[in-house]
Amino acid sequence: MRRTGFLYDERFMLHKTGPGHPEAPERLTAILRGLEEADLLSKLIPVPATAAEMKWVEKVHSPEYIHRFEEACLLDLGELDSADNQICPQTYETALLAVGGILNAVDTLMEGKIDNAFCAVRPPGHHAEMKEALGFCFFNNVAIAARYLQIRWNVGRVGIVDFDVHHGNGTQHIFEEDPNVFYYSIHEHPSFAYPGTGREFEKGSGPGLGTTLNSTILPGQGDEEYRRKIMRDLIPAFDEFMPEVILVSAGFDAHAADDMSDIKLSTEGYSWMVKRIFRMAVQYADGRLISVLEGGYSLDLLPELIRNHVRILLDL
Amino acid sequence: MFIDKSMTRDVVNVRPETGILAAQTLMAQKRIRHLPVVDENGILVGIVTDRDIRSAMPSTVLSEAEKATEERRLAVMQVKDIMTANPVTVSPTQTLEDALLMIHKLKVGAFPVVDAQGKVEGIISVRDLMRAFVNVLGLEEPGALLGIVVENKLGQMKKIVDAISELGVPFGSILVSRVWEEGKRAVFPYLLTSNISKVKNHLRERGFTLLDPMEWYLDQLPKR
Repeated sequence: MRRTGFLYDERFMLHKTGPGHPEAPERLTAILRGLEEADLLSKLIPVPATAAEMKWVEKVHSPEYIHRFEEACLLDLGELDSADNQICPQTYETALLAVGGILNAVDTLMEGKIDNAFCAVRPPGHHAEMKEALGFCFFNNVAIAARYLQIRWNVGRVGIVDFDVHHGNGTQHIFEEDPNVFYYSIHEHPSFAYPGTGREFEKGSGPGLGTTLNSTILPGQGDEEYRRKIMRDLIPAFDEFMPEVILVSAGFDAHAADDMSDIKLSTEGYSWMVKRIFRMAVQYADGRLISVLEGGYSLDLLPELIRNHVRILLDL
Repeated sequence: MFIDKSMTRDVVNVRPETGILAAQTLMAQKRIRHLPVVDENGILVGIVTDRDIRSAMPSTVLSEAEKATEERRLAVMQVKDIMTANPVTVSPTQTLEDALLMIHKLKVGAFPVVDAQGKVEGIISVRDLMRAFVNVLGLEEPGALLGIVVENKLGQMKKIVDAISELGVPFGSILVSRVWEEGKRAVFPYLLTSNISKVKNHLRERGFTLLDPMEWYLDQLPKR
């Protein structure tokens, strides 16, 4: 068994997105219920959520954008940059808490007090650009964590695996030119899914050419294609890059029963993928892995998928 | 959509007396494939392409002696020896549609854009049209495509636009497949939202038929 940290805070539910919005607080209720029912909560090491220091958020987002976001919440404008990104007066603080909690998880991991962690946060992050909220995302949680690992903990090579069914345009753009952060994403082919980036020819630029990699899955495909592309693309890439820490953008919307995409990954397919990533962390990073919740909108599915996810991290 | 809004203005021209080796170097440096040829007054007299130059190059299977002769010949060859004289041109007030149809019909890669006196003002190439097309499709804006099949009759498009607008979802672009099955058309709205399941459910509730993404096509090749 491994020591797995668990970031969760009731205040992550204060970010309200309004009726009918898929990125709803109930997602976290479902996740928590799933872990409780399987008696897994007692096996996890709690990580506290505290508001992130601004200097870390500014490593990724422009001060102008951060200010605009804060003001939109204070003025209760209802949305930021588009109707997808519903906000309420508490959204800004909630987003800061999520980032701060993830940085606490990074500290706990780097101090050797845990082996890995799962962060059940809202709002999600991987679509957020340096200066723009997109696709339900405001602060790019994983990107800020990667910068924090580089600067605060002097980590030379950070590997990001993003298996949300949508491409993490924000994360890719932020590290496009950085040869020390490898961004790998597997997602529905961009001609059929939001946001339309993450084509297989996108491989980074400048000094970062070769440390961005995208695997695209056609509508209707599932386990077999995921297996084939992860073995063909991700495994050899990380074999060569040898990340010292792995960050996971964990989206559960590629499941066949999640109607946010046309992808048909099964529950077992998810487990296989997470086990494979876990194995890479053990192989190169002494097990160091932090998984951060992105998408996944089926309240019926989340309990089981998260339960399996956490069991794999615990190495039960 | 006039050509002068989309053409490349910063045109690299050559003179008829320019050596073809110099022209070749220029194309490689500027990464272009067409050079308008102009006289001393900037009036167009021809066009030379990378293909014209390649055809003038000696064969790779020549003997050493033959190669030396060929190289001497190339060294003195000028653009006017291989250029297409009086090429097809367009005017700045012709349209992008004109250029698109002409490129399609004449199978050429670029047209010099000239004024009434024949002076070169720009060049419009497949590359410029591609850029315009990427822009029109909204491909660089975050969004997602949907495929909807409707009866080929008046008012269908309005129903789609109304249904999507009710949800407050902005459009990036709309494509319509001209040829679908008998009496049907396929409509592809590109929507600037990540909340695509909401749109799909709403359209289904309104009685629209959504197409399986693996069945999407805009332009089907003629059946044999």
